[in-house]
Amino acid sequence: MINVLLITFAMTLIYLSIANRMGSYIKILVFQGLLLFGVSFIELKEINILNLIFILFETIVFKTIAVPLLLNYIIRRNRITREVEPFLPNFISLIIVTFIIIVTFLLSNIIEDPHLNKIYFVVAFSSLFTGLYIIITRKKIITHVMGFLVIENGVFILSLAVGNEMPMLVNTGILLDLFVSVLVLGIFVNKIGDVLKDVDVEQLQNLKD
Amino acid sequence: MISFALIIITSLFFMGIIIRTKSIASGRKGPGIFQPMKDVIRLWKKDAVYSKTTSFVFQIAPSIYFASVLMAILVIPFGQYKGIISFEGDFVFFAYVLALGKFFSIISAMDTGSSFEGIGASREALYSMLAEPAFFILMGSFALFTGHTSFHDIFISLHFGSYISYALGVLATFILIMIAMIENSRMPIDDPKTHLELTMIHEVMILDNSGFDLGLILFATNLKFAMYGALIANFFIANFQMYLTIPIFFAVQIIFAVIVGILESFSARFRMNHNAQFIFTLTSVALMIFFGVLMVIGKFI
Repeated sequence: MINVLLITFAMTLIYLSIANRMGSYIKILVFQGLLLFGVSFIELKEINILNLIFILFETIVFKTIAVPLLLNYIIRRNRITREVEPFLPNFISLIIVTFIIIVTFLLSNIIEDPHLNKIYFVVAFSSLFTGLYIIITRKKIITHVMGFLVIENGVFILSLAVGNEMPMLVNTGILLDLFVSVLVLGIFVNKIGDVLKDVDVEQLQNLKD
Repeated sequence: MISFALIIITSLFFMGIIIRTKSIASGRKGPGIFQPMKDVIRLWKKDAVYSKTTSFVFQIAPSIYFASVLMAILVIPFGQYKGIISFEGDFVFFAYVLALGKFFSIISAMDTGSSFEGIGASREALYSMLAEPAFFILMGSFALFTGHTSFHDIFISLHFGSYISYALGVLATFILIMIAMIENSRMPIDDPKTHLELTMIHEVMILDNSGFDLGLILFATNLKFAMYGALIANFFIANFQMYLTIPIFFAVQIIFAVIVGILESFSARFRMNHNAQFIFTLTSVALMIFFGVLMVIGKFI
């Protein structure tokens, strides 16, 4: 079952590369949060009630409800246009993301580590690189936040891959990181939206002392 | 034998269910579910009219197209019963016999000398070229998963697996539904109801066909839908008894038809330049399944 969930997760990355609306990006993030909840729920060997509540809080409450609502609020408030406006055509993005997944798959072949679960490794690394790729190729600041969230999801899967039980400290670190980044970038986008009309990376080049 | 008979029966009402679903979704009552078949029979009673600029290719192409679809249906198994033809590697035969029919429909469209039909033929060739790797990677990963290369053996040994075979079946269903939509030129790719030649794909290729030939082409579309539906149904028919498998088969076909109808009602046609990337997505998804299978069986390249 975990394999299927992780393959579905990799499929969402492909969909992310061709989606051209903000709404689809947010829906994908919600779906990825649900998939992560499924994976970590099955992965938990013994049901430790504290651990369970923490993972439930992190995946369901945070990744699936709070962050998408915040992103939606930012998009509404600043009247950001619905299109994501990539620098490259979607078709090239699709080929590059497919290529990323193939390369990580070949890379996982080289690593000979009995502790590492390879399917986790492939999905985690490909979502890391896909998030990075989305940050590079999209114009708007709000899509940078979304690319960052995809990277966080990749880190989450990687932390599941290395150890069988999630180290609580790593988990807390991820949560804090996520919280701060989304909050800070959200406020940042809001402030820019107050000053400038259009929130676009290219406009940052005009900023001077 | 039994799969052939069941597919023919399904093809009689398949398109009717799609049209009925679309009517209900748009708030109308809609025609009866046998109406498309009655239209085909009406066309079969008529003679065909041939343009003077066309050659014999235009006249034989619809028959070859229809025959190729029938040949492709022959290799499809039903549960533990083999198709009429069954041999090692018959999914390659399945794909290329369909490609032969498509080739003839393309050159017959070119044969009429109409510029619109040339556009349609070129689009159809491009889209089937992009959809082909998806099908082969999908069937190839199933062949790898089970260790067999014919439809019958693949489907039989798939059900001795665990939950993973059903999960892969669900993913494969998604790809096969999309391939069926592309091959039949339905909604996300092409709008069968469009009235502008410049935006058509499949409809523009058959503009010059009439009467009996047009009836053959329309019925071949119904057969193709039922054929893909039978392929999908095979993923879910385990080695049950006959009185269980036949209801499952028809249930899968009807659900497939309703899904196609709902997809067509609630989605708009893509812009032409978005189609290529959409179809290529299927290849990427099939590649995911391939890697998943490689991971699951622990066989690395």
